[in-house]
Amino acid sequence: MSLLKFDYSSLTPGKKLAVKYFIVAIILFGAQLLFGLIAGAQYLVPGLFYNKLDFNVVRMVHINAMVIWMLYGFIGSVYWLIEDEAQTELVGYKLGNLAFWIFTLAVAVVVVVYLFIQIGPGNQTSLWLINEGREYIEAPRWADIGIVVCVLIFFYNVAATFMKGRWTGIAGVLVLDLVALAGLYLAGMFYTPNISVDQYWWWWVIHLWVEATWEVLVGCIMAWSLMQVLGTPRKIVQTWLYIEVALMFGSGILGLGHHYFWIGTPEYWLTIGGFFSALEPVPLVAMVVHAVYDAGKHDFKNRNHPAMAWLIAHAFGNFFGAGVWGFMHTLPQINLYTHGTQWSASHGHLAFFGAYASINIAMWYIAVQKLRGDVPFDSRLPHAWRWKSALALLNIGVLGMTMALLISGYEQSFIERAIEGSTWAGYFKAQTAKWFMQGMWWRQVFGYATALGYVLLVWDLMTIGKDVPQSVIEADRKERLHGQKTRG
Amino acid sequence: MNKTPWWASESFWRKVAVWITGGMLVILIFLTFDTVKKITAGSSRVPAYSVINKRIYYRFNPERGFMEPVIGDDAPLFGKMLSEEEAEKLVSLGKMTIQAKNCMNCHTLLGNGAYYAPDLTKAWLDQGWGAESVRENMMVSFLMDPKTNGRGYGTMRRMPNLGITEEEAHGIVAFLKWMSSIDTNGFPNNFKTIPQEGDQ
Amino acid sequence: MTEPVLASNIMLATMAGAMMILFGAFYAFFFAWSRLKNKASYATLAYLSYGIFVVFTVVLVQVLHLSGYWRILVALLLLGYLLAPHGIWHLCVGTHPHEEEIATRSTPGKSSGLS
Repeated sequence: MSLLKFDYSSLTPGKKLAVKYFIVAIILFGAQLLFGLIAGAQYLVPGLFYNKLDFNVVRMVHINAMVIWMLYGFIGSVYWLIEDEAQTELVGYKLGNLAFWIFTLAVAVVVVVYLFIQIGPGNQTSLWLINEGREYIEAPRWADIGIVVCVLIFFYNVAATFMKGRWTGIAGVLVLDLVALAGLYLAGMFYTPNISVDQYWWWWVIHLWVEATWEVLVGCIMAWSLMQVLGTPRKIVQTWLYIEVALMFGSGILGLGHHYFWIGTPEYWLTIGGFFSALEPVPLVAMVVHAVYDAGKHDFKNRNHPAMAWLIAHAFGNFFGAGVWGFMHTLPQINLYTHGTQWSASHGHLAFFGAYASINIAMWYIAVQKLRGDVPFDSRLPHAWRWKSALALLNIGVLGMTMALLISGYEQSFIERAIEGSTWAGYFKAQTAKWFMQGMWWRQVFGYATALGYVLLVWDLMTIGKDVPQSVIEADRKERLHGQKTRG
Repeated sequence: MNKTPWWASESFWRKVAVWITGGMLVILIFLTFDTVKKITAGSSRVPAYSVINKRIYYRFNPERGFMEPVIGDDAPLFGKMLSEEEAEKLVSLGKMTIQAKNCMNCHTLLGNGAYYAPDLTKAWLDQGWGAESVRENMMVSFLMDPKTNGRGYGTMRRMPNLGITEEEAHGIVAFLKWMSSIDTNGFPNNFKTIPQEGDQ
Repeated sequence: MTEPVLASNIMLATMAGAMMILFGAFYAFFFAWSRLKNKASYATLAYLSYGIFVVFTVVLVQVLHLSGYWRILVALLLLGYLLAPHGIWHLCVGTHPHEEEIATRSTPGKSSGLS
C-alpha cells in the first residue's frame, strides 16, 4: 500500500475525521459521474436497462450522490478547519466518528434500496422506507431523520469546539449557518396531496440550501483558505465575509421568488422573483472588483498550486454557472419557455460544478498536502501534468456538457414550448429534433471527458507529492524559515 | 488599526449582515403566510379536490394576458360524483403513488422534475388522449400497462412498467385532473387542449 | 407582467441576458483594473463595457416588452450597476487600510491563519 502512504497518524482528531468525510465524498463523486453517464446514454439508447434500471432510478442516484458528496465535502472541510480556527482540539471526536459511520451506513442502505427495490406501492410505507419521490430530497423519511440527527451532532461538535476554544467571526457565521442548514431540511419532511404547497416548501429546502446556506458555508471555507493559502489578515477576511453574507442573503433569500412563477403561487412572485434575480449578480460584481484589488496588492505566491488553481476555477465557474447561466433564463418572460427543459440541466451542471465541486476539490488538495507531510505543491512538484490534466479535463468536460445541453435546451424550448404549446406530441417532436439529439450526443462525449478527468484526479490525489525530492523539501523548509524571519 | 472608517469596519458590516438577513427573512415569512393561504386547496388559484367532478377548460384570458383554467359544468371522473372528502382521498392516493413510483425523476410536474418524459402539468388536457369520451380509460390502461399501450410518439422512449394497480391508476388520473385546474400564471404558454364538450 | 417574449426572440432575449452579466463583469473588471494601474485607457475600456451593457439591457427591455414600473426598475438597475464597482472599490480601499501593518503586528500565536 505504498500508494496510500499518508502521514495519517500525525493528524489532529478533527482532521482525521475530515479525511474520512473526504474519502466518502470522492467515492460518491465517482458514483455521481457513473450514473450521469448511464442517464445520458439512456437519451441516446432509450432501451438501455429498460424496466431494470430505468432513467428515474439512474437520475435519482445521479443527483442524490451529488447532494450527499457535496455535503460530505463541506462537513469534512469544516472539520478540517475548525481546530485551527478554534485553536483547540475537536471536543467530540468519538461522537463525530459515530455520526460519520451512521451517516455512511445510512447512505449505503439508501442506495441499495434505490437500486434494488426502486419503487413501492402508493402509500406512506413506501415514502418512509423506499423513497419520497421528490426531486433532490428523495431520501426516505427514516433517512431524513438520520440526516437531521447527524447534522445536529455535527452542529454540536462545531459549536462546542468553538465555545471551548476561540470564538471568531467566521465561527459565528458558520454556527448560525449550520442552524439554518438543519432547520431548512425540516421544511421538506412532510406529506401533502397539494402539489402547490408541496413545491412551495420543497423550494425552501432546495433554493435556500443551495443558494443561501451552502453559499455561506463556502464563504466560510473560502475565507479560511484565503488566510491559509495567501495569508490575508483575519480582520479583512471577516469583514468581507460579512459583506458577502449581506449581499448574498440580501439578494438570495427573496431570489427564491424565481421558483414561484408557475407552481400555483400568486402573481406578485413574478415581480419579486424578477427583481431579486436582477440583484443576484451583485455579489459577483463585488467579487470581481475585490479579486482585482487583491491581485494588485498581493503576489499570489503560494505553496499549493493545484488548490489555488481550483479556487480560481471556483471563481470563474461560480460566475458563469450561477451568474451568466442563471440570469439568462431567470426572468419570467423567458422562463415561461425555458422552465422544465434542458436549459435547467445546462445551468445546473455548470453552477453546481463551479460553485461547489471546485471548492471541494481545492479543499482535498489542501488536505492531501498536509497528509504528505506539508511538502511544497509548487512548480517543483513532480508529475504536475496529472493535476493539470485532471483540472483541464474536468473543466472542459463540464463546460462542454453545459454548452451541449444549452443547445438542446434551446431547441426544446423553441419547438416544444413556443411552437407546439407543450403538448406531449410537441415534447416528443422536440426530443427527436436534429439539434436536440446533436446536443445529447455531445453531452455524452463531454461526459466521458469529465469522467476521465475524475479518474486522473483520484490518481493524482493518491500519488501527488509522493516523489518530491529531499533536496526540494529542504530548500522549501529554508525558504519558509527565511520568509518568517523577514515577515516577523 | 483604528483608522478604518466606520463604513468599512468589521462591526458595521456584521450589523448590516444581521439586519439584512433578518429583514429578508421577515419579508419571506410574511409572504409565506399570504401565499400558503392563497394556494391552499379550495382557494381560487388552487381549487378544491372535488373539482375533479367538473369539466376543466384552459382558456386565454385577455385581461391577464395568458391562459388560465376555467371550471365548467359537471363531468364526474369515472362516472361517479365524489364528496370533497372522497375526492381528496383519491387525489391523495394519486399523489402518493406519483411519489412512490418516483415519477418526478423522468417527468416534470408544474415544470419541476426531470426532462426525460413530458410535463404533466396539463397532462389531463393533452390532445394526445384523442377525445374526452375515451380519455379516462386510455389513461388508466396506459398507466397500468405502458409497455403495450406505449405513448412514445414514434420515439423509442417508453415508460417502464411500474406495477401500478387499478386503484392507484384512478388516483393518478384524479390527481392529474386536479393539477390541471391549478392557476399556473399561464404556464405552459399557448397550450393546445383536447376538445371538450362546450369548448369554443 | 408579463407578455412573454416572442418565440423568435427567445435566443435574442437569453443572449442579451447573458451579455448583460458578462459585460457588467467586464465593466467591473476594467474599472477596478484602471484604478489599480491608474491608467485612463482601462477606464475607457470600462465605460465601453458599460455602454455595451446598457445596449444589451435596452435590447432586453424591448424583447421582454417591459413597460410601466418595470422601466423604472431597469433605470435603477442601470444606475446600480454603474455605481456598484465604485462603491465596492471604495470599500476595498477602506477595509485594507494598513494591511502590512496589521499583518506584522498580530502575533502568529493569536491567529494562526497569519503565520
